[in-house]
Amino acid sequence: MSTSSTLTAPASPPAHRADVGRPRLTFGRILDAEWTKIRTVRSTVWTLTSLFVLSVGLTALICFAAAGELSQDAADEPIGAFATWGLMFGQIAALVLGILVASAEYSSGMIRTTLAAAPRRWSVLAAKATVLAGLLLVLGAITSTAAILAGNFFLDREGIGLSLSDPDVLRTMAGGGLYLAVLGLFGLGLGLLMRHTAGAVTVGIALIFVVGNLVGLIPGAAGEWLTKLMPGNAGTTMATVESFNPDLLGPWTGIGVFAGEAALLLLIAGWLFSKRDA
Amino acid sequence: MITAERLTKRYGDTTAVDAIDFTVRPGSVTGFLGPNGAGKSTTMRMVMGLDHPSGGRVTVNGRAYRDLPAPLHEVGALLEAKAIHGGRTAYNHLLWLAKTNGIPRRRVNEVIGMVGLEAVAHKRSGGFSLGMGQRLGIAAALLGDPGVLLFDEPVNGLDPEGIRWIRTLIRSLAAEGRTVFVSSHLMSEMALTADHLLVIGRGQIIADTDMADFIARNSAAHVRVRSPQSGVLAEALRDRGWRLGRADDGALTVEGATPEQIGDVAGSRGLYLHELSVVSASLEDAFMRLTADSVEYHARTEQPIPAGV
Repeated sequence: MSTSSTLTAPASPPAHRADVGRPRLTFGRILDAEWTKIRTVRSTVWTLTSLFVLSVGLTALICFAAAGELSQDAADEPIGAFATWGLMFGQIAALVLGILVASAEYSSGMIRTTLAAAPRRWSVLAAKATVLAGLLLVLGAITSTAAILAGNFFLDREGIGLSLSDPDVLRTMAGGGLYLAVLGLFGLGLGLLMRHTAGAVTVGIALIFVVGNLVGLIPGAAGEWLTKLMPGNAGTTMATVESFNPDLLGPWTGIGVFAGEAALLLLIAGWLFSKRDA
Repeated sequence: MITAERLTKRYGDTTAVDAIDFTVRPGSVTGFLGPNGAGKSTTMRMVMGLDHPSGGRVTVNGRAYRDLPAPLHEVGALLEAKAIHGGRTAYNHLLWLAKTNGIPRRRVNEVIGMVGLEAVAHKRSGGFSLGMGQRLGIAAALLGDPGVLLFDEPVNGLDPEGIRWIRTLIRSLAAEGRTVFVSSHLMSEMALTADHLLVIGRGQIIADTDMADFIARNSAAHVRVRSPQSGVLAEALRDRGWRLGRADDGALTVEGATPEQIGDVAGSRGLYLHELSVVSASLEDAFMRLTADSVEYHARTEQPIPAGV
């Protein structure tokens, strides 16, 4: 690096200071800054690319592989469940992106820069949540629509394609975005609570993939209800045309429960965020 | 202007900062000096509203940090070299930061120019050297053209050129009338940059003094003199009322006299001198004496190393 050791006027006389002006810190500005942050790191590009590629690719793959069989036996497999099958794996990327929005600031120490610039912590959290949810809502809907179209291409060839004007299909196209946005917010809560990327990813994946299935082993109504209510079970029906598990909560109830869980987690994380030292 | 009143930070049973009072004034560099673990960084984080005080309060321009309407326009800080996401370019780091406080984009380019990072502005900061990272941190601190600046150990790990650059910068910021608060654990560094000195040890302010005063009081020199006729010489010097001592190697040490005066005394008696030199106490020594009781971790050099280890 060739740097001049001589100092070129490090700051300007008061006349210029007035020129810079003294705008106030506003929520809109924090929002703009958070948007700038999320779009200027590669991890965002990578997570969103894997979200799309995994979701669409795996859906296409399973539909290509299973369409023949599905068309033959008058199957007890719900065909609609295959149309967004890849999202089951793609969703990890949305969870990770949500976690990173908070945890990457702690691993780099940047959180101190953030809070020095915007000391209102609840506003910072709200801005992060808005940017993340907006991004996942849009890209999630695009992903889920693309997955349905790709999967349906193979289902159609075997004559078992879904009607794209079916209300449940249309609901799933948008619902994929909604589900992934809530999942991202859940990740944001985890990341802010744990302040550690690897730890939060482990806990998040365990909750959604392992614990969600294990609670089904609890006998009786308790097990049944826990299965319905676990994050990663509740809400998933919003992102599927039909669910493999008919016992899960319906799409709107499910997403409502999941959104409530994410909101509760964010409130706890936000409360600690405002109390703890940065 | 930064004002702390009974500012306290406790972590469980340990008190990191113990009810300290101080004022950092505009137009001069205030050095915040103390050994590692004395509470310097904790204090600075409390000024910035990052750590919550357990007691007391600290204000910047009369307000708590979190009540500042546009913090970056009032306070700039270099708290730690790595408060930057390594995956983001220098330009984008400054850009998001500027946006929080409504600072125009052209100011981002301006500060990049000021710290000399034009060539790497669009490179990811993860690959930056320590010195470049420090320059980026300083660019961020200057972004809002703030009247109050905090630098926590700004020269740590820098090469001589970088150190000189930061010293010059700090001096010129104060000369422009800004409030500059700089921490260091090196007395020699403070002697070069600070006008005023706050010494902290074990969470307490143990000195709050003008730098020039501190130097005058603590750099008391003595004169070393060796002579084959040291008995006679000592007699003669004592007659003049100067305080004498004896160094380990047998040389005389004289306080309160200049080498000229001592030479004249010796010459007037026809005494031979083999050495006549001024020994000045270092400020580092003065600082060590001041903080001797408040160092958190002493290296136990007197302990003999067991054989066979």
